[in-house]
Amino acid sequence: MERERKARRKVFYLTFVALALIVGGFLIWKLSILILPIIVGALLAIVFRPVKERFRVRWLPHQIQVLCSFAAIGLVLFFAFNTLRKHIPDEEQKLEFKVRLKYKLNEKYRQLVAKPAEEKSNALAPLIQKELGPLMDKFNQLLELSPEERDLFLRYAAGHTGKPPIQSKFVDYFRANQRTRKYVIPEEAPTGATQPTRTVAPAPVEPVAATDETSFENKLSAWMLAPLIFIFLGFDHGQIRRFFIGLVPNRYFELSLTVVDRLDDAIGKYLRGTFIECFLVGVTLTLGLILLGIPAGMAVAIGVVSGLLNAIPFVGTAIALVIGLGYALVAENIRPLIPGLNPNDLALYVVILVVITHVLDDVVFQPFVLGSAVNIHPLVVVIAIISGSLIMGLWGMLFAIPAVVVLKTAVATFFKELKDYRII
Amino acid sequence: MSVRNLAADKLLWETLGRWKRSSPELDRIQFLKTVPFFDRLSNRQLKSVSDIMFERTYDADESIFEEGQPGAALFLILDGKVAVEIFRETSTTRLAVLEKGAFFGEMALLDDTPRSATARALERTRTLALYRNDLRGLVHRDAKTACRIYRSLAGMIADRLRLTNELVQMKTPPGDVELG
Repeated sequence: MERERKARRKVFYLTFVALALIVGGFLIWKLSILILPIIVGALLAIVFRPVKERFRVRWLPHQIQVLCSFAAIGLVLFFAFNTLRKHIPDEEQKLEFKVRLKYKLNEKYRQLVAKPAEEKSNALAPLIQKELGPLMDKFNQLLELSPEERDLFLRYAAGHTGKPPIQSKFVDYFRANQRTRKYVIPEEAPTGATQPTRTVAPAPVEPVAATDETSFENKLSAWMLAPLIFIFLGFDHGQIRRFFIGLVPNRYFELSLTVVDRLDDAIGKYLRGTFIECFLVGVTLTLGLILLGIPAGMAVAIGVVSGLLNAIPFVGTAIALVIGLGYALVAENIRPLIPGLNPNDLALYVVILVVITHVLDDVVFQPFVLGSAVNIHPLVVVIAIISGSLIMGLWGMLFAIPAVVVLKTAVATFFKELKDYRII
Repeated sequence: MSVRNLAADKLLWETLGRWKRSSPELDRIQFLKTVPFFDRLSNRQLKSVSDIMFERTYDADESIFEEGQPGAALFLILDGKVAVEIFRETSTTRLAVLEKGAFFGEMALLDDTPRSATARALERTRTLALYRNDLRGLVHRDAKTACRIYRSLAGMIADRLRLTNELVQMKTPPGDVELG
């Protein structure tokens, strides 16, 4: 009788698990747009959990405390986003930025390869031209405005949509860019024939897809889930954990308590450590850029973006460098606060600043904040980031390492506890 | 406000609070009051403890935990019977049979030292389990409650140590070194 009951129980559990996997797989496939907001909301709840625990007010009901915490965090994020938004370029600023970047890049390149008349042959210039010439042509192609963009720029230059016209200096840049020639002209035509001068053709413009408003609305409504997940996980007094542990068979009860606890601890420490580390990197970059004379608002914007991207190992620093360098190349009228620095070498100083920040991050911030929270082999880090980017693009790269942390901790803890509890 | 009014208000809020709680929850709180471990706690404190406990049901002859496994939780018997046994080579020695209201595995509240005995349900048994780290978490959320529980645990361990000393003294011939 007992044996039959156990057999029926086994069959029931197996069938239930199989059905749950099928239904779960189907839902994940169909509702894939919700996965990212859910993960972001859950991660934010984990990161801010100690804040919620630390600022507990005895006489205030738990739900009100959570709502107040959420309101406070929401306000901070709102002001931060609002400040950041002012520095996110609009259409006009993007065009202006492209024009200025292209002009400055070409100017720097020409300065590098220019041969002063009185000098004898500059042996380095041909080498630089040979190595950098093709690269410059590629940059110019990428930064070249399409005919529609050119028209738009000229309209903005005349004062389009009631906005103040673009500065005449930048219009001159635009005209100079139009006259930019290719630096590397392939040898072809027979002798005697004049080669038509080739201007840099713009990069092939992909046809702009019609804005999929439905898709955007879907994504927006999906992202509304993130704050809701954050709030409801904040309300949770361990009920979700209790529910899932309630499903575990008795044999694995204490084991599951230990594993879940250790996993929660490891993930929480790693996430909070990474959050603090990114914050420190962002602050360091921001202060450094302000000292280099970059306006505070722009320095904060670059610092925030770089700090956030620092969560992606290797790639984060590279992206921060590109952003900082891009701004340094186009910035004008910069007066560094550090005496003795030449404003014309701003790009170099930004590179040095990023290198110093990276070294500080590796030598001071990470060991101090993360310690040996989770030791991951660098090869695993690289593979994880590449895999993450292939699966989910930038978001995949951002979540690659936390996913590896979860997996590593889960596997290590699970097997250790299975042995300790003499199940295997 | 007079003392009488204050007492009336307190009674009113407690009654309202009780209506908010479900019947099983009330039953659990009433049960916890009878356990020596929690006898110093107020109703509100018992609710804090009840909220972090897990109810587990074991079939007859099912192990609750086994000797040598790392301890993680204290167990209270809501219903049924549990035998505490140790296995030595070829024989099993039954140390105790515990019934409703009894608790066991309390040392797991301190650390994950391996269990010194096996606990096995003799019939269908309902238990309440208090996990060690949940109690530690209670220290941050409700320090008074957690402290009272730890104090009860300390008292229990002290009593056992005294009992062990007495037993050793009874068995030790006069003139030998005494423990404690």
